[in-house]
Amino acid sequence: MTQSHNPIHPAALMYAEEAKAGKLSRREFLTRTTALGVTASAAYGLLGMTAPAHAAGHAQQGGTMRMQMEVRALKDPRTYDWTQIAYFTAGWLEYLVEYNSDGSFEPMLLEGWEVNDDATQYTLNVRRGVMWNDGTEFTAEDVARNIEGWCDRTMEGNSMAGRFAVLIDESTDMAVEGGIEVVDSHTVRLNLPASDISLIAGMSDYPAAIVPAGFNPDTMLDNPVGTGPYMPESLEVGVKGVIVRNEGHDWWGYAAGKGAFLDRIEYIDYGQDPSAWVAAAAADEVDMTYETVGDFVDIFESIGWERSEVASGATIAIRPNQLAEVDGIRPYADKRVRQAIAMAVDNAVCLELGYSDLGEVARNQHVGPMHPAWADVPGLPYDPTKALELLTEAGMADFEMEITSIDDDWRKNTTDAVAAQLRDAGFNVKRTIIPGSTFWNDWTKYPFSSTNWNHRPLDTQILGLAYRSGEAWNESGFANAEFDALLAEANSIADADARREVMGKLQAIMSDEGVTIQPYWRSLYRHAKPGFVGWDMHIAYLPQIYKIGLAA
Amino acid sequence: MGLFILRRFGVMILTALCLTFIVFWLTNLAPNLEKLAKTQGNARMSDEAVQTWLGNRGYLQPLPIKYGQWLGVVPGYVIEGTDGEVRGRCIDPRRPDDETPRFCGILQGDWGFSTVAKEDVSEVLPTRLANTGKLMFWVMVVMVPGALIVGVLAGMREGSRTDRTLSTASIVSTATPEYVSGVVFIALFATSAFGMQWFKGSASSAVQDATFENFFLPVMTIALYGMGYIARMTRASMAEVMTAQYIRTARLKGVSFPKIVLKHALRNALIAPFTVIMLQIPWLLNGVVIVETLFTYQGFGWELVRAASNNDIEMLLGVSVISVFVVLLTQLISDIGYVFLNPRIRIS
Amino acid sequence: MEPLTWTGSLGTILNPIFGIGVILFLVSVVTQSVLTFFEGPVTLQANPDGTLQSRGGLIGMLGTANKYLMLVIVGAVLAYIIIPFFMGYGQAGIVGEMAKRFLPVWVALVALFAISIHYKRRLGLYGKLFDSTVGMIGFGLVMFWVFTAFFFGVFDWIATHDYLSQVSGLKNKVPGVPVPEGTTGVLPHYLLGGDNLARDVFSRMVAGSTFVIAIAPLATVFAFMVGITLGLPAGYYAGRLDTILSFLANLILAFPVILLFYLLVTPEIVLTGIPSYMAAFLFFFPLIFFFVLLNSRYYTQPAKRTAIMIPVLGILGWLYLSVINQRGTVINFLPPWLDGFDITVLVVFVSVVFVNAPTVFRIVRGLTLDLRTRDYVAAAQTRGEGAWYIMLWEILPNARGPLIVDFCLRIGYTTILLGTLGFFGLGLPPESPDWGSTINEGRKLLLVFAHPALPPAIALMSLVLGLNLLADGLREESLRD
Repeated sequence: MTQSHNPIHPAALMYAEEAKAGKLSRREFLTRTTALGVTASAAYGLLGMTAPAHAAGHAQQGGTMRMQMEVRALKDPRTYDWTQIAYFTAGWLEYLVEYNSDGSFEPMLLEGWEVNDDATQYTLNVRRGVMWNDGTEFTAEDVARNIEGWCDRTMEGNSMAGRFAVLIDESTDMAVEGGIEVVDSHTVRLNLPASDISLIAGMSDYPAAIVPAGFNPDTMLDNPVGTGPYMPESLEVGVKGVIVRNEGHDWWGYAAGKGAFLDRIEYIDYGQDPSAWVAAAAADEVDMTYETVGDFVDIFESIGWERSEVASGATIAIRPNQLAEVDGIRPYADKRVRQAIAMAVDNAVCLELGYSDLGEVARNQHVGPMHPAWADVPGLPYDPTKALELLTEAGMADFEMEITSIDDDWRKNTTDAVAAQLRDAGFNVKRTIIPGSTFWNDWTKYPFSSTNWNHRPLDTQILGLAYRSGEAWNESGFANAEFDALLAEANSIADADARREVMGKLQAIMSDEGVTIQPYWRSLYRHAKPGFVGWDMHIAYLPQIYKIGLAA
Repeated sequence: MGLFILRRFGVMILTALCLTFIVFWLTNLAPNLEKLAKTQGNARMSDEAVQTWLGNRGYLQPLPIKYGQWLGVVPGYVIEGTDGEVRGRCIDPRRPDDETPRFCGILQGDWGFSTVAKEDVSEVLPTRLANTGKLMFWVMVVMVPGALIVGVLAGMREGSRTDRTLSTASIVSTATPEYVSGVVFIALFATSAFGMQWFKGSASSAVQDATFENFFLPVMTIALYGMGYIARMTRASMAEVMTAQYIRTARLKGVSFPKIVLKHALRNALIAPFTVIMLQIPWLLNGVVIVETLFTYQGFGWELVRAASNNDIEMLLGVSVISVFVVLLTQLISDIGYVFLNPRIRIS
Repeated sequence: MEPLTWTGSLGTILNPIFGIGVILFLVSVVTQSVLTFFEGPVTLQANPDGTLQSRGGLIGMLGTANKYLMLVIVGAVLAYIIIPFFMGYGQAGIVGEMAKRFLPVWVALVALFAISIHYKRRLGLYGKLFDSTVGMIGFGLVMFWVFTAFFFGVFDWIATHDYLSQVSGLKNKVPGVPVPEGTTGVLPHYLLGGDNLARDVFSRMVAGSTFVIAIAPLATVFAFMVGITLGLPAGYYAGRLDTILSFLANLILAFPVILLFYLLVTPEIVLTGIPSYMAAFLFFFPLIFFFVLLNSRYYTQPAKRTAIMIPVLGILGWLYLSVINQRGTVINFLPPWLDGFDITVLVVFVSVVFVNAPTVFRIVRGLTLDLRTRDYVAAAQTRGEGAWYIMLWEILPNARGPLIVDFCLRIGYTTILLGTLGFFGLGLPPESPDWGSTINEGRKLLLVFAHPALPPAIALMSLVLGLNLLADGLREESLRD
């Protein structure tokens, strides 16, 4: 392993000190150090701990697993917008790097990587001995070609371009000249115009699947060239998808002891209604769920299934849009109205009714204790009487607020809970529900609606995505120069403690402006029939199917 | 008779044309196309991206032309997209370019492409229809004899307590829509709440392998709702026959009651229910949609819901064509059957 | 507060009586039915000595037993309803408290039945209904929900809590659960438990009745207006008009209803304004209907005609404009002071009318085809009456029997359709207490909690059953003419 000979990145040692001093959470420590090229076991070693053993030893070789999951149509991996698609293709299209629920990054098709001190140069060491299943060897050229593809901003819906924005030339919308350099057959060097420590994290995300030369998304099923241990057997969108072991292929992971225990994985689609999943589970038509939400956590346990739980930064934001016009006025441009809304809602009730108390109460700041630089800033008090006073003062007591949500289980319930509390406080509220197929048409434009947000490792990430002025995903229409300046400042501070001070100000602004109701942090769940191992729920829903096996 | 059937076929085709045009128009309204682009392209696309996406795929052509292309009377579009890729209605990646036909509509046997299933409609629909056919077959097996027996028993002695009991039961069954009875059945028989977990609340596995366990509840749910109506028709018909002169004569002759019912009354009493049963088939389609959704059974109704909620235009058109023909064919069969069964009616 | 049991102390005596009564009754009815199949029919026979003889033997005994068992059951049910009024709060359990909540409904029902039965000979077809047990039961069930809807909708009675308010801690709680201190509400318990969002299931069921009773009959009335206005001329003139209209009607009927709903009742279609235009078109028919109705009657007396027509059409016209004029849709031209009201579920309403109208059209057309050959029509024609006068004042009244029966059945069918819409989550707001939506909500957690889904299911079933029985009773009685 070349990686173990590498000097440990200086920042990693600093992080280790912080972590030992309790200033840095273990998850955040792992995230940061492994992203700098430190192996997970070395990272644990820096903390004086040993890496947790894999469950691999307990799995038996062979067997079939049936998972309840939406079976979606395939497309170019770079345009994946649902992790479910990646669950199917992960059988043969693998990733360079793997992000784990404990926050660490592990090399997969890479053997390791080094990042220079100011994070402007990445050296990627490509794993040796990896073969494509058509018999050719996996080399640095393949890696370079894929990264070039990720940097192609002209491709419709290419979300990797956002993750690799630093490498993209604004004039050509392609990778910068000389940015991707093939050093030798198994080394790629990335020369960045500016520093960015998030590239490794980007490579681990589900759209970053490594595809072969001449890849064509239209024929990827008929011609499934990839490096992974499985190959697709059948795919009927919305019904069922099956992948089976690629018998003739010598997967690199067998030698590396990675697993791929199952011979056959079936994904069966039961639609988006969790009650159908329960029915399928009770009828023994599936072995595990993709994700279990809300009330159904208890229900799956009541039928004797096992639970896997991971606390995360996934959440829901029920926000008024400050720019939205209703009947010619901008009702939510007034800070008092927004504050009134926030004060009329008890977040604990939202958690109870919306998500069955399966998470942690949050404070409408969209930054939480799971983030490294979270500051303990109090939210607005819950005070419905005061809320109505504020609303009346703003002259909006008679205004009918229309609250929109998607038609599903927990998002709808949480939004209903908010609506009911506003109504209890004396607000005039109307609820609208929009089916999942059309909800996203206008998700940033609804005057008052709810949106789910996934876990992001860093505290500033989500604030930048969703609350910076003019961002594409800024659904609350929030535009605040002071906020933007503070955020830019926070983004330049690597040290969590130093950043915490700025974060405190940012969080205070979030609360005081009543930007959004962000009532709780969700825990994520998956349930399985007893007898399986390695099926743990992943914090970011990544498709690590090779880890699943039948218990020995 | 031949002319009569021919005329009916003419009407049928005209109806199908009008109906598909309406479906075509509704599914091609701007907001629906936007929805399509967002579900197919990227859920969080910008408005400009939506327009180019649609334009590249021929969705922004005038409505009559698009409809003509679907029918196969207007040549399929060939558009060089803003991204440089050439897309055409008739271009199939599995076929060499020089063999691409000019027309590829329903007249050429091309039902189009399902944007949700990512397969040709002509490949998806037959499978779904076969599944629904299996479901309907068992529904008929349960419903028709059941309804006829109940109806005959009730109708043979009008006003008796048997009649009152069975008639009330039939009314109760017609008053219980599938989404109520299905829900109650699942609660009773598919959960452990009442200690009667005998059946399965999901019929997904019945697509491959239908067993008593996984197929009974969906079949019963549809059958019960339809049963009451047919039973009441049979009862009325039976009651009418039982007051006929020849039955009275037989009774006065001293023929035993069961013999009168079985030998003399039954045959004549079953003419009316036959037409009702045929007309019931399109009506059962509703129940099929609800039940297939409730029990996740991948049949025609399930496909309808999926296509409709995702604005899968060509699949919806295929679904409408088939349902129109089912509705009109059953009407035709019931008319013809009525003529054949009833010696008093002749169509000249 | 203690949780309530189902029947409280009342149950210790009544439950066994009721249970045994029902079981014996069922056994006896089944045995009797089986036995009679093998026996010839014997009705009352008049003996030569003037006495009457009814059937003897086992079957006869069972018949008598049935009668008494039925009495016991009915008595027990009445006891469940009446006795709680003399007991303290909670002593008669959930059933008792529910019976008390429905007090205004009981009073109204008793009054209605007493008056109707007393004057039944003077009340025409309605009065005859009270000769038929089936019809009375059906009428009772229907009026139960009508009164419930009325008292809830107008006076806010019956319901115990706000049907939208969520009370922390009562999520999915079983029937009879006490609510926490300080919760607003009439009773300190959730009688039928809490639903998925901790709302009172009982109050939601009651509130749902108002929704259903307000929409279903009204939509059916509109469907009838459209169907009659088009069906009468189609049947009367026949010919090309009939061919075209029938083709259109069959076209709509060839649509699978659910596909039609999916195409019409989506947010996208509402955006395009199609439902508003459809409303403007469909709701114009009642105006035409009343205009023609009055005009054909009074056109010989222009002064009287104008005197009647102006207020009638004025009010109807205003109603029409108010209905189709909706804030936030394409049709929005009335000043707010003139816009009387907005129907929040206009799209649902329009779709239901649209689906029902063709069937009504076919029935009316068929009846008209039959009736136009009658002598009284020929007589009117020779008198020189106008075509519309004949259609509306000669044919229509004579077709009323089948139409009234169909009207009852159609309200039931409309109720089921509304439920179907709720079931597929189409068009109705998610918090809507209507029965279809609540069933759909409840079914999601059905495997664990049956209590939120069953009350609306039973309510919907009982209303539709009532309408069917009522239709059956009306049919029987109108056939006796």
